Amino acid sequence: MPRISRAASVSWEGNLARGSGAISGDSGAIEGLPYTLATRIADPEGKTSPEELVAAAVGGCFTMSLAGELTRAERPPERLDVSAVCTVDEVDGRHLVTAVQLGVRGRVPGIDAETFARIAREAEQGCTMAALVRASAEVRLETTLEGGRDGG
Amino acid sequence: MAADRRAEVKWRGDLMGGAGEIERVGSGAFAPLDVTWASRTEEPGGRTSPEELIAAAHASCFSMALAGALARAGTPPQELATSATVTFVPGTGITRSALEVTGTVPGIDESAFREAAEQAKDGCPVSGALKGNVELEVTARLASA
Repeated sequence: MPRISRAASVSWEGNLARGSGAISGDSGAIEGLPYTLATRIADPEGKTSPEELVAAAVGGCFTMSLAGELTRAERPPERLDVSAVCTVDEVDGRHLVTAVQLGVRGRVPGIDAETFARIAREAEQGCTMAALVRASAEVRLETTLEGGRDGG
Repeated sequence: MAADRRAEVKWRGDLMGGAGEIERVGSGAFAPLDVTWASRTEEPGGRTSPEELIAAAHASCFSMALAGALARAGTPPQELATSATVTFVPGTGITRSALEVTGTVPGIDESAFREAAEQAKDGCPVSGALKGNVELEVTARLASA
């Protein structure tokens, strides 16, 4: 398989406390998103942050990974709704991404809740972005199957 | 302090033929954004991907850490222009995130700037989450040098 590269760029002006930056992705899908230290650690006030982008990256990757695993198990999903929460905390004086909490609600014909939960765990283990952030973060997962029949 | 940041994603259909959306983010700063397997692994066609978002997270985290380190050293930057390029090998995973930064920083020399960039690369929280799993590198230069 070929290597795939994706790039993003940032321009930052000024010092850390009072400066601000702008974030763009080379695809053009995100462009000039402003961010600051104050909105990163306190109220976001409509501004994104590295942590929100990590949440979106891990959430987007896990969702695709689960769609792939369910398809392999011949239970392609009708719909998956995933949330991802990225937590940064201070540990021994350093700021670390300590957790990424994933939640998934699925509508998947012909599957029971137990099988869905097992395949979701496998998808989480296989997800590239979840693997990536495990250097410092605990990745947690909660699953809900819509209209699922337990053991059915 | 602990800060939580949230994103929500939906997907319809199987992996190859289906399509997803980064439906909303907690801040409301962006989204909805379409994502598909084809745009992730072939031409982006104007669509974002997990790799682009992690590149954006890494470049933005690194830029802030470097601005902080430069300010602490008494040489705050006027401007930092940073890019991060993340390489994904299907079947293997993410292998590399390469940062490049060009700085306009009064009163600093090239080697002190490079040293500060290395420290920011090692110390920013997103680097902390990635390192060990992926090769991290930074190329730093001064704009006017």
